[in-house]
Amino acid sequence: MVLRIARKELVEMMRDGRFRVLSAIVLAVSLVSLLAGWKHYTDLSRQHETAAASTREQWVNQPEKNPHSAAHYGVYAFKPKSQLAIVDTGIDPYMGVAVWLEAHRQNEFKYRPAQDRTAVQRFGEMTAGEVLQVLLPLFVVLMTFSAFSGEREQGTLRQLLSLGVRRRDLMMGKALGIAAALGLVLVPSVIMGVVAMALTLEGGLLAGDPMRAVLLVAVYAAYFAVMIALALGVSAWAASSRLALVILLSFWFTNSLIASRAVSDLASALHPTPSAIEFQQAMQADLDDRAPVQRRLDERRAALLREYNVDTIDALPIAFSGISLQEGEEYANLVFDRHYGRLFDLYDRQNRVHQLAGVVAPMLAVRSLSMGLAGTDFLQHRDFIRAAEDYRRDIQRILNGDIVRNQKPGQVYLAGRALWEEVPPFDYEAPATSWVLAAYTTSLLVLGLWMAAAVAWMLRAGATARVD
Amino acid sequence: MLEATNLTKHYNGVTALDSLTLTVEPGEVFCLLGANGAGKTTTINLFLNFIAPTSGTAAINGIDVVQQPLETKKYVAYIPETVMLYRNLTGLENLEYFAALAGRPDYTRDQLLGFFQEVGLAGDAADRRVGTYSKGMRQKVGIAIAIAKGARSLLLDEPTSGLDPKASNEFSDLLKRMSDSGVAVLMATHDLFRAKESGTRVGIMKHGTLVAVHGTDEFGHADLERLYLQYMHD
Ligand SMILES: Nc1ncnc2c1ncn2[C@@H]1O[C@H](COP(=O)(O)OP(=O)(O)O)[C@@H](O)[C@H]1O
Ligand SMILES: [Mg+2]
Repeated sequence: MVLRIARKELVEMMRDGRFRVLSAIVLAVSLVSLLAGWKHYTDLSRQHETAAASTREQWVNQPEKNPHSAAHYGVYAFKPKSQLAIVDTGIDPYMGVAVWLEAHRQNEFKYRPAQDRTAVQRFGEMTAGEVLQVLLPLFVVLMTFSAFSGEREQGTLRQLLSLGVRRRDLMMGKALGIAAALGLVLVPSVIMGVVAMALTLEGGLLAGDPMRAVLLVAVYAAYFAVMIALALGVSAWAASSRLALVILLSFWFTNSLIASRAVSDLASALHPTPSAIEFQQAMQADLDDRAPVQRRLDERRAALLREYNVDTIDALPIAFSGISLQEGEEYANLVFDRHYGRLFDLYDRQNRVHQLAGVVAPMLAVRSLSMGLAGTDFLQHRDFIRAAEDYRRDIQRILNGDIVRNQKPGQVYLAGRALWEEVPPFDYEAPATSWVLAAYTTSLLVLGLWMAAAVAWMLRAGATARVD
Repeated sequence: MLEATNLTKHYNGVTALDSLTLTVEPGEVFCLLGANGAGKTTTINLFLNFIAPTSGTAAINGIDVVQQPLETKKYVAYIPETVMLYRNLTGLENLEYFAALAGRPDYTRDQLLGFFQEVGLAGDAADRRVGTYSKGMRQKVGIAIAIAKGARSLLLDEPTSGLDPKASNEFSDLLKRMSDSGVAVLMATHDLFRAKESGTRVGIMKHGTLVAVHGTDEFGHADLERLYLQYMHD
């Protein structure tokens, strides 16, 4: 019965001119957004590949020089992109995807296309994620708002119910029919998405992780199911199609356009972060305070002189300048950890507010999960920052250690390729899918809750809906 | 068989139907007459369990419609003033859908076409979208659905209002055929002529009360009209 009803809904929609026009628009916009995402992805990953290769090349091919000069010369680290970033670019355009690793400082990320875009460009360029999160729910609303109320207004509802049709079957059948129609509209985009990913499969670190893609599809399927069930429930509950449309458009507007702004404001009101300038100034003030380093160096000097039983550091068998450099690094690292730790903690809390706010607007839960699975969320960005910073510190340790061992007083010390090669290439592995799921348990639960509530609401609205 | 026992419906104090007791036997065509607002549609809605009775019971085939709403609907077909169809589907697709939802998903195309012929719809109409269907054609599709369903009782709410005399006559013939095959028919109508022609009994309703019931063989056309107007006057 349910399938029979679903089939009729599908046939009716496919013969409906309005549906065809709407689907054509949705299809066109989603294909364009996918193409744009794919182009952006391939351009960027090609750039990264060459840049990553050349930064290593340049590093190991440095001429002989003092290790500390090499430390200032530095290397680039690139955040690997999952193919799923084609679907959801997440925060990457805002946070950047490359970082310069050098002595003494933890740098900000570079390459933030969002900074360089004008408002018009940003408006005109809908990412696949926005199509899925904003445009498609609108499509669902327009397809569904009169699905039940229309039959009541036409009078076909009386006839259907006089046949002995179960209301539950009617609701489920209609929901399934609309889902099938939506699926048909999405098929070309999904095929294109899969092809795009297959074409880029050799790149990226998540090539071997189809689980993420499957989960991403499941998350969006659940989201559309929520939207269909909600809309169908409203169609049954509202007194007229018109009222149903007004209610659903208001919900759509709130859910996809207002909620994200409002929650961002709420999150930064609850957990305010310092401005970039304030942050830099506070950190610089701590870095400029050399007294702790000086104290520590005095202690170490005294200990070493005692240990080797000599009077001057020049008499030591090791180079104190290397120790001094490393102590400087260690102290700066403490400062970085304190300041960035505090800042990232605030971001974390804001992130939790975003996830919890999914209770009010399901789009927020979906957005978190979507970015998480695409690897373009803040948490994975932070994980990469941590790995890049660890790598930077490793480089400093290796180079300074070499100075400690080999630098002789009063001599110019030059190291060569052997030392450069001792520094391993940067090898970052993005967090596993299970890590992502654990980080977004709240959003998963919230989405599940919405799903259960929406279906319950739909069935209840169907069971109690007036016949005319 | 359709049975109402002390069937009553109040709408916040307003009595729409007052203690209706009525039995329509198989083969009978009971015509409910009465002015607008007399309670005819309310009676039909109660039999379909679209509204809950304030008191009393309605039963189809001896089964209470409130207690077993789905079971009782297996035995009844409903034809409204205008049978509404899905305009993006053809006539045959509409018939097939309604029949399937009535529990008969198994009809072949030929069988469905047979129902179309049975109710006098031209063969080429079957595969046309119903947007162009006249009201007469729609009412015939309604009968075809009832036949396809195999309903033993028929509830009709002013099914011939606005039909031209020829279409109205054809519709009455179809109704007659169904009642001859043992279907119990309850029809609300304003058409005294049709009531006399195709009805076996007429009941006159006024302000929710069934004030008179007569066999149609008791008097001629003119008598029925006089009787009706007499009840409407006071
Ligand atoms: N949903 C309703 N709410 C309030 N009153 C109603 C409702 N439906 C019908 N009525 C009232 O019940 C009475 C009987 O109406 P109805 O059965 O539709 O009359 P008929 O079909 O004989 O023209 C009328 O007075 C009408 O105003
Ligand atoms: Mg009426």
